Amino acid sequence: MWLERWSGYQAISLFYLLSVVLLALFVDRGPILFGTVLTAMGWSYLFAPPRWSFEISGFYDREMVAMYFFVALIVSQLTAALRAARTKERERQEAVMRARLLNESERLGRTLLNSVSHEMRTPLTTISAAPETLRSSGPLTSIQQEVASEIQFAAARLNRLVESLLSAARIESGLLRPKLDWCDLADVVKVSLRNRAEILKGHKLENRLSAATPLVWADYVLLEQAIGNLLLNAATHTPRGSKVIVDARVSDGAVTVEIFDNGPGIGAEDVDRIFDMFYRSASARPGGTGLGLHIVRGFVEAQGGTVFAENVPKGGARFSIVLPIREGAPALEEQAA
Amino acid sequence: MRSEGQNRISVLAIDDEVQIQRLLTLALETEGYRVATAGTAADGLAAAALHRHDLFIVDLGLPDMTGETVLRRLREWTQAPIIVLTVHSGEEQKIEALDSGADDYITKPFSTGELLARMRAALRRANKTPSDEPVFRSGTLEVDLAARQVRYKGELVKLTATEYDLLRLFVQHAGKVLTHRHILREVWGVAHENNTQYLRVYMQRLREKLEVDPTGDSLFLTEPGVGYRLVQSDK
Repeated sequence: MWLERWSGYQAISLFYLLSVVLLALFVDRGPILFGTVLTAMGWSYLFAPPRWSFEISGFYDREMVAMYFFVALIVSQLTAALRAARTKERERQEAVMRARLLNESERLGRTLLNSVSHEMRTPLTTISAAPETLRSSGPLTSIQQEVASEIQFAAARLNRLVESLLSAARIESGLLRPKLDWCDLADVVKVSLRNRAEILKGHKLENRLSAATPLVWADYVLLEQAIGNLLLNAATHTPRGSKVIVDARVSDGAVTVEIFDNGPGIGAEDVDRIFDMFYRSASARPGGTGLGLHIVRGFVEAQGGTVFAENVPKGGARFSIVLPIREGAPALEEQAA
Repeated sequence: MRSEGQNRISVLAIDDEVQIQRLLTLALETEGYRVATAGTAADGLAAAALHRHDLFIVDLGLPDMTGETVLRRLREWTQAPIIVLTVHSGEEQKIEALDSGADDYITKPFSTGELLARMRAALRRANKTPSDEPVFRSGTLEVDLAARQVRYKGELVKLTATEYDLLRLFVQHAGKVLTHRHILREVWGVAHENNTQYLRVYMQRLREKLEVDPTGDSLFLTEPGVGYRLVQSDK
């Protein structure tokens, strides 16, 4: 054959080997093996004596075929390893970039949240302080007193609204960082009740927590706000003069704080969605944000707890905050240090 | 309480918001204080070094320096009371400020009445000499530090040694907030500065013995996430 003028039949096998090596750059080991067998058969049939048969007569030729397979195997193994390393490196770089993006967006989110809250709170501070400054500046006419009071109430309400929005934003952006420590639950409830005394004025309050309530592992600030939002919810959805009861009990490795009311209860269509963001039931009084209960859930879950809402058989609703008991809570009677 | 004589108490307020500066100037001058303001930490520190001030109000959100740095710089050469302005949910900030040398904090938006009360408490502590006021009184509570006697509504109250130490710490800092860690360090020692459960238990006990009237005002105010404050009622 004309090819034999350029090289001997043995050297031709190297051309085949070259093709297998080049193939190895692109395909995986299975196809390589197949290609190797194919090319070996081709060489054996077309070039190795006896020609036009698959038999290989020369001992050295058979040695060569064995070596051929060896080399093809090693090369395909090498390229496979190279490919794997390249893929891993690419994945690693993608992961690094993803982490960097996440960090960056978290940082931006936090910066935005901080600057927005700063911007909103500054004029609010001025507005909140205005009535007091007015009152202390001298005697006011009755109209001026009324206006001062209105400014005070509206500013307080706006402040609560801003705080709600910021809390919800913090929950949604995952930037909430609870500070968990031992908390005196009875104290948390008392502070919560006191902070909302104005809103709860029209209702009959009953605090059933005794001093024997165990210490809970929680974030004081978040827990106090969660309880406060439940109290606010009870006050706004129940008729004036009705009862709102706060209780706590220990069972099954958890401490449960419960808020009962004697109102109309939760509508069947609302029960599953009542803790959703911006959800407001059809029967709700106008003027709320729909964020209160969502914040309760966000704050409680951030502390490892759960919230429930259900209707009580004899009328009214019960909202529960369940916090797991943590090992090491000293009984209040215990002598410490 | 204002100092005697012709000198009015001088207050330096450092806040980058002009509205807050105006508000503070108005509210404080109405009460008889002399007020100077600064808009940046650099200006504030310069003003602090130039004139003597009796009290500082420092906003923690200053653009050119962290609150901690401003406090540490001030504390390098003045022991005058410092009250910081913080935001809601900035508990970490508050504790850091108190640990860096602030005497108290107030949260924006604040009631000027509350600010004035905390200023008075801070100034009272600064002006106190050991011989002053051996007997502390606030509402129903009376504590005779010299005789180690505690009275609730006139009746003697028995306290354990630890309970008394805890109460005495509050009395010595009456009206001012004390962080959990500070209280634990002072009463139980540095080794226990993270054993919050001790503090919770003992505060519960003190309250049981001294805040007997549930409808009455609280004697010990919980500062959520930060610490406690013994109320100094001026009645």
